[in-house]
Amino acid sequence: MNNEENNCLAHRQHVKYFMRFLNVLPSSLSSHDTTRVTIAYFSVVGLDVLGSITSMTIDMQSRIIEWIYRLQVEPNKETGDMTACGFQGSSTINMPFDSEKSQYRCGHLAMTYTGLCVLLTLGDDLSRVNRKALVEGVKALQREEGNFSATLSGCESDMRFVYCAACISYILNDWSGFDVKRATDYIINSIGYDYGIAQCPELESHGGTTFCALATLSLTNQLDKLTIEQIEGLKRWLLFRQIDGFQGRPNKPVDTCYSFWVGASLKILDALHLSNFESNKSYVYETQDCVVGGFSKWPDTCTDPMHTYLGLAGLSLIGENGLLEIVPTLNITKKAHDHMKYLHQMWETES
Amino acid sequence: MSDSGDSDVYWVPYKERPEWSDITPVPEDDGITPVVVIAHSEKFKDVYDYFRAVLQKNEKSERALHLTKDAVELNPANYTVWQYRRDLLKELDTDLRSELYYVECVIKQSPKNYQVWHHRRVLVEWLQDPSQELDLTGDTLISDPKNYHAWQHRQWAIKTFGLFDNELEFVDNLISEDVRNNSAWNQRYFVMNNHLGWSDLNVQKEICYTLEKIRFIKNNESAWNYLRGVLLHDKRGLSGNAVVLSFCEDLFKNRCHSPYLLAFIIDICDEVIKKGEASLMYGPERALELCKALADKYDKIRTKYWNYMANKFKALIDLKATY
Ligand SMILES: [Zn+2]
Repeated sequence: MNNEENNCLAHRQHVKYFMRFLNVLPSSLSSHDTTRVTIAYFSVVGLDVLGSITSMTIDMQSRIIEWIYRLQVEPNKETGDMTACGFQGSSTINMPFDSEKSQYRCGHLAMTYTGLCVLLTLGDDLSRVNRKALVEGVKALQREEGNFSATLSGCESDMRFVYCAACISYILNDWSGFDVKRATDYIINSIGYDYGIAQCPELESHGGTTFCALATLSLTNQLDKLTIEQIEGLKRWLLFRQIDGFQGRPNKPVDTCYSFWVGASLKILDALHLSNFESNKSYVYETQDCVVGGFSKWPDTCTDPMHTYLGLAGLSLIGENGLLEIVPTLNITKKAHDHMKYLHQMWETES
Repeated sequence: MSDSGDSDVYWVPYKERPEWSDITPVPEDDGITPVVVIAHSEKFKDVYDYFRAVLQKNEKSERALHLTKDAVELNPANYTVWQYRRDLLKELDTDLRSELYYVECVIKQSPKNYQVWHHRRVLVEWLQDPSQELDLTGDTLISDPKNYHAWQHRQWAIKTFGLFDNELEFVDNLISEDVRNNSAWNQRYFVMNNHLGWSDLNVQKEICYTLEKIRFIKNNESAWNYLRGVLLHDKRGLSGNAVVLSFCEDLFKNRCHSPYLLAFIIDICDEVIKKGEASLMYGPERALELCKALADKYDKIRTKYWNYMANKFKALIDLKATY
């Protein structure tokens, strides 16, 4: 692929790309059946980063909002129990249950987080979000070690869901469901001998989980719990991930998504300016499909909504023209974040 | 996971099976404003319509257990299907050994799926039998030596059931095969840290092992990082181990310009400076010079970072000059 030619944003194509995903997906994506909200998140926030929310008709925007709200799990009608509350990722298990079997219908932290982001990005006022219930749902998922499970019904627990729980608490401006001290301990315990951060204590350091950990520390105002050595060690570990684009672990291939995961981590540590923007940008553009839109993880491979969104988000972090500024911790645009801040003020005056 | 259905010549939809005629399928209700719609195959819809029906009834039967297999095959990432399957296994008092075998087959097809590994872990917990976990994860790591799920499961099994005995040998083989396998180096640290311990002798042994690997391939971040990890357990720090120092200086003299070597010497200087020791060899002047060499020549992708580091040492030198 001709690099010079490809070193500019195929803006129009990416808009079309996301619009397609918001409509219908091929059956080959059946394995995403329980996580459709995340695809909506990549597409809606992706359009926002492109400054193209208005490419969606008002009708389309309200359809998405209605669809997200339908996935909200309400408190148990008989018992008032709120431990299953949150958003589901799709309607696959969205049907009525008798009270005692209703544990199968429960929220999922990643879906609640991304669902709330979609609502904020579309300018919804969150008035139909049962905030108290969501916070109780978060609370029910924190474990002894400080990390979080994804759902009530049989799921793994790791750093990803610590991050999702922190985002939800931050968006709802209510930390009563999130034990900051225990979560911070879990994060510190997951720092490796190379200063990167892993999915859980003693596992291999990883760019994605390092992002989840640092974003959580930032959202909870706990970055000062890191020592100088840890901060400088993290900067070094993160900057050493740059080859041209970024890799997720030492000696692994470069991948577009780490331009966001590692880039945002560096931004949180106020060290992104120490990386090489030009090489980063060139790599990401090598993975752009200029014809039908989208980004892939490697050049000349299949595009997907996640790498497309994260590619754009990574470019936005380094100030690429034509892209809106994003807030690295929450991974939405500053515009959507400002809207959230406004809602917080409204809630404050209400109470 | 595709469900093209091409190979399913003998597939009979649930809605046409007499033994399921008592069940009314429950179609997915996606509301009047669906978005991000997946155009599922007919087979997918059929299986999940019946899955929803048995789930809603909470039917605990052999046929429901079988149905979950079909549902898993179409989407192994559906955690509710797995949870329901576990509830059925318990209720029906199913032979968990055969389930262990079944999930092993699914893992081999979808080794990067979170739900299958979680299912495996729960089964092992129920059985309190980790005897196959090292083999299973070992097999997975042969075809994909950096599979994060497999490593996570392996560490969990080893730690929970104390299976450390042969792990160093396993790690050693992986490192011999690919000295750049960072996951294997991490596992080495895991074994040392939890099992063999960091006695002075072990620290020295690990240093020798690592230096040997670095001598073989110098530009290997994984080995250099491990060396730092080992030295966390040397009371004298990075700068106090004579073997390490002479190794580094030898490489340096022989014009090795690996950024990892130069960064290591910079950090030695940094440590010596912080300790307040006066050293001709490891002072801010040398650190500054190395930072500049990295910035201008040997690690240009990180020019800005090395300049940032250089400025710190420069400030120290300037400070010294004002006294
Ligand atoms: Zn990726």
